[in-house]
Amino acid sequence: MILNYLGNFALLFCLIISLVIFITSISSLNNKNFFLKKNLIELLFFKFFFTVLSFSSLIILFIISEFSNETVLNNSHISKPLFYKISGTWGNHEGSLLLWLLVLTFFAFFYFLNSKNRPTDERLLTILFQEVIILGFLFFLLKASNPFNIIYPVPKEGLGLNPILQDPLLAIHPPVLYLGYVTTSIVFSSSLAGLIKGNINNLWAKDIKKWVFISWTFLTLGILLGSIWAYYELGWGGFWFWDPVENISLMPWLSLTALVHCVLALEKRSILHSWTVILSIITFTLGICGTFLVRSGILNSVHTFANDPERGLYILFFLFFLIFLSVFIYFIYEDKFELNNKNLNLYTKETSIILNNWFVMYFLSVILIGTVYPIFLEVLSNEKISVGPPFFNKLIIPFLIPFLIFMSIGPNLKWIKNNYFSKKLKLITIFILSIILSTLVSKFFGNTALNITILLAASFYLFIITIKDLIKKGFKNYSQTISHFGFSLLVLSVLLNSIFSNEITSNMRVGDEIKFSDKIIKLQKLENTTEANFLKLIAYFKIEEKNKTELVLEPEIRIYDKPETITSEAAIKTDIFKDRFLVINLVKENEYLNVRYQEKPFMLWIWISAIIISLGGIINIFKKNEKQIL
Amino acid sequence: MKTRIVLYIIFLLLAFSKSSFSNDQELENKINKNLRCLICQGQSIYDSQSDFAESMKLVVKQKIESGMSEEEIYSFFKIQYGEWILYDPQLNTKNLALWLLPILVFLVGGIIILTKFGVLKKRL
Repeated sequence: MILNYLGNFALLFCLIISLVIFITSISSLNNKNFFLKKNLIELLFFKFFFTVLSFSSLIILFIISEFSNETVLNNSHISKPLFYKISGTWGNHEGSLLLWLLVLTFFAFFYFLNSKNRPTDERLLTILFQEVIILGFLFFLLKASNPFNIIYPVPKEGLGLNPILQDPLLAIHPPVLYLGYVTTSIVFSSSLAGLIKGNINNLWAKDIKKWVFISWTFLTLGILLGSIWAYYELGWGGFWFWDPVENISLMPWLSLTALVHCVLALEKRSILHSWTVILSIITFTLGICGTFLVRSGILNSVHTFANDPERGLYILFFLFFLIFLSVFIYFIYEDKFELNNKNLNLYTKETSIILNNWFVMYFLSVILIGTVYPIFLEVLSNEKISVGPPFFNKLIIPFLIPFLIFMSIGPNLKWIKNNYFSKKLKLITIFILSIILSTLVSKFFGNTALNITILLAASFYLFIITIKDLIKKGFKNYSQTISHFGFSLLVLSVLLNSIFSNEITSNMRVGDEIKFSDKIIKLQKLENTTEANFLKLIAYFKIEEKNKTELVLEPEIRIYDKPETITSEAAIKTDIFKDRFLVINLVKENEYLNVRYQEKPFMLWIWISAIIISLGGIINIFKKNEKQIL
Repeated sequence: MKTRIVLYIIFLLLAFSKSSFSNDQELENKINKNLRCLICQGQSIYDSQSDFAESMKLVVKQKIESGMSEEEIYSFFKIQYGEWILYDPQLNTKNLALWLLPILVFLVGGIIILTKFGVLKKRL
């Protein structure tokens, strides 16, 4: 009980400190009086401390199952394992917002500690914009989604956490994603501050680059974790569904990917000043926009777990406020940008970065329009349409082909001026080689459509060239080469996976067997067991392959009681070259089980390649630090 | 000789039936993936095991067996349940913006790049 008050008061303290920082930093900006400089770091620290206090109270409330707390009541119950009691803290709307705030206050503090080489007024302004964002979230938290609402009389048992959220991967997926989202707020604030002070130049780019890479790396890892979770938990055997909520996490990632490249061009060549600022604004607003769309319940998605239109309205208002503020600032201070009339040569790295941004923004617009168009159409004409995977495939694949080719050539060009023709022969040879390779693959192993064959050729091209770069350039620019290699591996694995995936669906009883190419799948027996918080039905399948060892797969059906839900746990056998994926479902009023067996090649490589991509980002973050020390 | 011909015919029939089966199965999966399960949260009927999805799958199977083409099956479902059921939005007047806006963004982006960086313009 006392913890409810503690958590609440900690949040109130946080609000007071935030207001103090906000007001004093405005006044010290006007007076050119920097007395705040000494106290600010303490204030920022205390704000962070109080958020930690508030968040810890909520965790403890969850651990001790204190059902006088409304959030705990709605999302937990006594028999839930301890691990999920803790992760349940951020597995719901209120708790996840508190976590968001926690990360936000931490990064505000951390930014101030690590920005000593920036001009003081720019740092103060950055903190000011951070406070605007923090205040927005604090008001929202206290007014519309307080995690410490008290219920009386105290109920005896909670309502439980959605079972499909009771998963170790999903316990760490939101925090990692939030780290990524929230870091974009620093980039946003700093770019607005830099814009007002006329500091957007190559030095600014050098300093903000670190934050862009931190954000990008976390977002990459966060999306990867969510994707792995969807693969084994949702039981569809896919890893990306072009589902609205997935699209929403991909949009800031895409604009960050553009920003990662653009900020390099600004650092090395002093070009694209205004575009860098616009991208920073776009990235952050897309993050907030995502929160709005997910939390408001407007989207029809499998990932919609909790929503409330009123909350959506608040976030929408906040979103418009931020957009208006940044557009306003942009146009007022636009003339402070350094003029650049630099002439660009066609065959240079900067041109290829512009090409990258062009295509990435196109992909972003496809996803944005595909996700929000149905919403607008329904509001305006009351007609419902669905935008699914075929739409995205049709609009993205044709543009992905030139994108991959440009991506292969781009990193091989130099800044400013390039003698492109010296490498021309080699690049063309590899290109012809890739076309032959892809034609062979699609002719002999599957009847693939022409556009897929061409896409395969382009991704082979990128793959071979990135390997060549990795070997040749070695340690010269390894964060870029590693990330690009990871990306080529990702595209290649996804393509080969979609071409060569194979499956069979059938209804089976115990003792039945089905044939699948050269294998026999046998359902041997069923077994019921009782676990801590669910009943479990295990099916034992034996897969016999000719001249090979047998494989036993044990998919499950789980029946949870709080809240009452039935989930299917897929049995997955992962090998280097393919995954075997088996999932069962109950058929109503029937003794049969619905069985789906899938063979999915290169699944492991999809995960590995995403890790390699983010590894490049991690290397860049630390490489930067080394340079600063020297 | 006779047995040989009979065997040959049986083999042909088997081969034919098998390939037609797998083609039907592929087509069925493809159609199932493009139809939304109307009572689920953003799942295709292929991915869902709800009663609705199961009965829809049966309907798709019957329609394929009765010789309807993919397009005919889609328009059948569209008449029954509205466009909401199709995951692949059609190119018609009300969806025109959906299909054209991204392309427009791409073109405008290209024009901006060409006009901003003079040398590129000269070269092209």
